[in-house]
Amino acid sequence: MTNSSFEQKLEKQLTEIKEEKQPEKDLWQGIELALTHDPRLQETNTNSLVGKKLHLLVATVAVFGLIGWLSLNYQPNRLSGEDLVRALSEQHVKQKEALLVTFQDQPALTENWQQQLSELDDAADAIKMALKNEPNNMALLRMLQSVHQQQINLIERVHSPKWSQI
Amino acid sequence: MNNQGNVAAQNKFATKTEWDLIKAVQDGNKQAYHMLYQQYIGRVYGLCYRLTGDKMLAEDTTQEVFIQLWRKIGNYKGDSKFSTWLHTVASNITISYLRKQKSWIQNIFNIEDSVAMNAEAEASSCSVDLEGHIIRLPERARIVFVLHAIEGYRHDDIATMTGMAVGSSKAQFHRAKQLLKEWMGND
Repeated sequence: MTNSSFEQKLEKQLTEIKEEKQPEKDLWQGIELALTHDPRLQETNTNSLVGKKLHLLVATVAVFGLIGWLSLNYQPNRLSGEDLVRALSEQHVKQKEALLVTFQDQPALTENWQQQLSELDDAADAIKMALKNEPNNMALLRMLQSVHQQQINLIERVHSPKWSQI
Repeated sequence: MNNQGNVAAQNKFATKTEWDLIKAVQDGNKQAYHMLYQQYIGRVYGLCYRLTGDKMLAEDTTQEVFIQLWRKIGNYKGDSKFSTWLHTVASNITISYLRKQKSWIQNIFNIEDSVAMNAEAEASSCSVDLEGHIIRLPERARIVFVLHAIEGYRHDDIATMTGMAVGSSKAQFHRAKQLLKEWMGND
């Protein structure tokens, strides 16, 4: 075979070579198995795991932060003041009026209960006056709550049947 | 890469579907990678088979190529055709794999010539196609012939890839052609 004829034959056969050739067995399984243990994939998984943990941590910190903030801000002495006194007074008035409506058809056991109620109102007003000067005074707030509770107890007591008082 | 670069790469080097597939793989999508594997397994295995000259080695190196490609595919920026880039990656991995597999005895005694002689006996005993002759070439001659004559690499590129001198690459190519001429003349 001459050089030129060989070159021509080689050139022709090279163009006829099929670039693609299929393996006799499926190689993907082995590749997939290796990829499962691949650091890049693990990194991705780790990242997503870290991400989830981070989200959980952030959420936990946020919840604890919120609780802490609420705790700090929910302290009575912080919330005390005119707003708190007003809120307590409004709530008490509603409760008292509801009770009076409930017992309006029932006879009172004593005649001076309204005077006692009025005296307690005066006591409550005096405490509220004091709270205006010292809105964070816990002792005054407790006294106000106590006076309110005494009024509720008075209304209930004077309108309850005698047998229940024994 | 910016969007403009992506569009340019898409238009020049890959269809939109292929580019989307590559981007999905770069984002770590294994399903997309399986699709890419199915698309290129024939070409990669074909290249590995010609470079190694052995079916089992070709299977091993093909797997190695796709395992390493998973890690390297982030480096593909669309500056060239994906198949060209993949062939370069596959060639480098296969050559590197062969180097690791080759025993120190082969390195010292260069026994590939005796393999070539056996191959010569086989080749002359029956009529085979060009591919059959190529895989029977001695390792270095085969690698150079495949990279130069089939894959289109220049000798200086081959020298870089294989670690041999440019002159050695040319000499191995000449040797490969001489053997092929001899064997093909007997067909």
